[in-house]
Amino acid sequence: MFLVTLGPGAGQAVKSLLSERGIQGPVRVELQFTGCCDPSLGLIVGTIRESDLVEEVDGLTFVISPETHELAGEVYIAYKDDAGRDVFVVTSSKPVGEWDGLITCSIRM
Amino acid sequence: MDQYKLFIDGEFVDAADGKTFETIDPGTGLPIATVAKAGKADAEAAIAAARRAFDSGVWSGLDISARIAILQDFADQISQQGVRMVVTECMDAGQIIGYAKMIVMWASLLLRNLSTYAATKFPFEEEILASGNAFAPGREFVRREPVGVCVGIVPWNFPTALAMWKIAPALIMGNTIVVKPASNTPLTALILAEAAKAAGIPKGVLNVLPGPGGELGKTLCTHPDVDKVAFTGSTEVGREIMRMASDTVKKVTLELGGKSANIILDDADMDLAVDGACVGTFLHQGQICESGTRVLVPSKIYDEFVDRMKKRAEALRIGYQLDPTSHMGPVVSKEQLATIEHYVKLGQEEGAELITGGKRVEVKGMEGGYYYAPTIFANVDNKMRIAQEEIFGPVVCVIKYDGDEEAVAIANDSIYGLAGGVFSNNIARAERVARGVRTGTMWINNFHVFAEYCPFGGYKQSGVGRELGKWGLEEYTQVKRIHVPYYSDRNTNFSFTLMSDNKKIDGFNYNCPTNVIAGHGCLSSIYKVIVDLGCRRALIVTDPGVRKAGLADLVKSALVDFCVGIYDNIPPDPDLESVDGATAMARELKADCIVSVGGGSVIDAAKTVCVALKNGGKANDYVNRWFALSEPQTPHIVVPTTAGTGSEVTNIAVITSKTAGRKLFIADPRIMPNAAILDPRFTMTLPKDMTVGSAMDAMTHAVEASVSIMANPICDGLALHAIRLISENLPLVVADGKNEKARLNMQIAATTAGWSFTIAQVGLAHAMAHTVGTLHHVPHGAACGIVLPKVMRFNVDHAAGKLALVAQALGVDTKGMAERDAALAAADAVEALMQKVGHPMRLRDVGVPEEGLPLCAFHALADSSILFNPRPTGDPGEVLELYKQAY
Repeated sequence: MFLVTLGPGAGQAVKSLLSERGIQGPVRVELQFTGCCDPSLGLIVGTIRESDLVEEVDGLTFVISPETHELAGEVYIAYKDDAGRDVFVVTSSKPVGEWDGLITCSIRM
Repeated sequence: MDQYKLFIDGEFVDAADGKTFETIDPGTGLPIATVAKAGKADAEAAIAAARRAFDSGVWSGLDISARIAILQDFADQISQQGVRMVVTECMDAGQIIGYAKMIVMWASLLLRNLSTYAATKFPFEEEILASGNAFAPGREFVRREPVGVCVGIVPWNFPTALAMWKIAPALIMGNTIVVKPASNTPLTALILAEAAKAAGIPKGVLNVLPGPGGELGKTLCTHPDVDKVAFTGSTEVGREIMRMASDTVKKVTLELGGKSANIILDDADMDLAVDGACVGTFLHQGQICESGTRVLVPSKIYDEFVDRMKKRAEALRIGYQLDPTSHMGPVVSKEQLATIEHYVKLGQEEGAELITGGKRVEVKGMEGGYYYAPTIFANVDNKMRIAQEEIFGPVVCVIKYDGDEEAVAIANDSIYGLAGGVFSNNIARAERVARGVRTGTMWINNFHVFAEYCPFGGYKQSGVGRELGKWGLEEYTQVKRIHVPYYSDRNTNFSFTLMSDNKKIDGFNYNCPTNVIAGHGCLSSIYKVIVDLGCRRALIVTDPGVRKAGLADLVKSALVDFCVGIYDNIPPDPDLESVDGATAMARELKADCIVSVGGGSVIDAAKTVCVALKNGGKANDYVNRWFALSEPQTPHIVVPTTAGTGSEVTNIAVITSKTAGRKLFIADPRIMPNAAILDPRFTMTLPKDMTVGSAMDAMTHAVEASVSIMANPICDGLALHAIRLISENLPLVVADGKNEKARLNMQIAATTAGWSFTIAQVGLAHAMAHTVGTLHHVPHGAACGIVLPKVMRFNVDHAAGKLALVAQALGVDTKGMAERDAALAAADAVEALMQKVGHPMRLRDVGVPEEGLPLCAFHALADSSILFNPRPTGDPGEVLELYKQAY
């Protein structure tokens, strides 16, 4: 199964953020509401549910619900240094919204 | 299936790369039209067309009435497309048909009404009546000009109305625009383009580009030819748009997300509140940014309210949006449906109690549609994600609270601040609650009510700027200030003299409108003067000494029935509190006119009373302001009881602030009194020391005005005659205080000197006198007299000619004298006059300690009077030397 691909620097940035907060993970890829601009994909540290799809990438555990995976397909997480703030752009093989690729997010802890 | 194209430069065209996409009916899940899919090249073409159209002036250069006539045709064309637009709006966006009818009709009305408002009421040009710059008078006005090329990014929940929220203000104000409708709902914006074309809107003025925001957004928001971006959508996308627009510093208006609180108070009409909570949340399937998705309910009615809300929600009919019996239609897309399900699951995991809904709904015959049941969560903690994040679907959180304050606190505990509601039978209470909530809109006993004249926008992360109404129109303009000075002359430009060795100001504006009535017994004129001013209720403002001397009662008698009271508690060096006391009395007695009877302190206090009385508030609101008043103040008649300050005709009032620990002032032509009644009987009892001191104050006004860099021929004539009158009459008054003719001449001298210095200003002697007055409590007139001759000698090489004339006015025979010698003789003559009338000659004689002089020198340099001294100085050593000479 191929759920998540990390862009350059993304894995290290996720590890650093988790390490700063003393959190192990896993990191969930989830749908997040963006009002009347369609949903987008975001990242949140959470627990693994029984039905989740799980994948280890670069020493990190990513989870995604089957429903989200069905809707979004494969997920690509790009890292972006936004004026000193570590943010990520989460896109997918089947875009969940028309602003796909434009929205940045951090990791909810 | 219908096919739609891009609208660029007045033509419907295919995308440059030929790409298309399908738009789906969310009620069936089936495609309803094929639409050209704009890409970067199309965005650039549309921006170029909009730029050309704007720069050509074909639209921005039209007179507003011509522009509005075309826009009214545009509104008519929209109306003609009404049925098609309503059905398309329903099928594209999932709005139930009854709602779509309202929305489409409103789009046309909005355009028509805002256009008419702009043409008839909008202040495209505004005069700034208060100059605000004492050194550069002239006409000041602002013009509202179009911003340029605008981009309007429109969401999918109200594709017609929100497109019009961008198009109407942009075009009304003379801009051109590129509209990007949401990819889910591109059709009605393209129908609007058809209407615009049919109405004859010039090509390039309106362009419509359906296409994915992720691809088009960057071009639209970063292109250097775009001047403004107006966006309605999510906070997350709005943040990115603001960031992108910042590179080229575009104007941005953002109408973003919300998590509005709908506060039900315990005295609310329960039926109304339950309906308000349901409509506030479930209308248009909850896909409205300002939806009241947090319903706050007091503990004591919580259970009953939740129960009734559940019944109401379960009674709502969910069906195909074109079915007129449907209360709710589908959500806009399968992604939206999936996200709603995700959040409902999240709410259950967080421990909220699912009361009803929480599931998809199948509509018979419409199995592919995206229908979801109205969903209520009870026992929600406001910290839960379902209470903090925007769920753009029919999902509501009902939150319990105790007391109005807690309701407001919960309402404000959100990153958003878009809107909200309060339901109560006590409007005053509801309004108090509404004022406490930090949002852009609050509805009382209502929800989701919009009007084209009312602003909409958010606090906090709900947005930037406002749409609709005059506020929305203003967002599509730039403000240009235009300044046209009184003088187009290098030598009459105060600022330009800063970079010149010639500090003299040539031009002048002599505007001294005070009606002066002088002569024995002229007090009786006040009966006519007050009538001429249109007043009937005069408050006399005076001080205890004048009152005790019977002078205020004399004036009261002369006013006959027009005096409503006497305020007799103005102290020497009046403070803010005494002014406020007089103002309060004037308000209580409904005074329409102030009559001041007294010396400079009383007159200055009364000037300030007039300002506070006219404008409201307290004296402290108006002190330390220059040229800020924009209209005539409360009428003011002065009956002076001294002859010195000239305050009866000047534009200055000096008031002491105990808090600030110093004297503050108002400088404004609009505080010049309306009338000054110089009746010598009012100065006959003035003691000798006050007579002499106030006379030397007037003398210093006149001498400094005559040598000031602001001096002018009118003021020169007034100043020199004032000097002559003082020189001739002061010794007579000192010799015989009952010499009424000499007393009158001294009054006229003081008034004349006042006219002179209120235009030409004063100089270093006043700066020095103000300082020893403030720091060592030396009476102002005495301080002026002591330092004046020293300053005249200091200025001699910068004002020899003027000082020589002063010498002549003082009675010095200058025939055969060199000009400089004559000028120096003027200073000697002032000292001789002072000695003759018994004026103190040294600062040590009036209590100034020698060790205090250095500090005085520093303070004097900070006094604004020094700006007008003919000899520039910024050297504390020079000023200290003068103080030492005077010591």
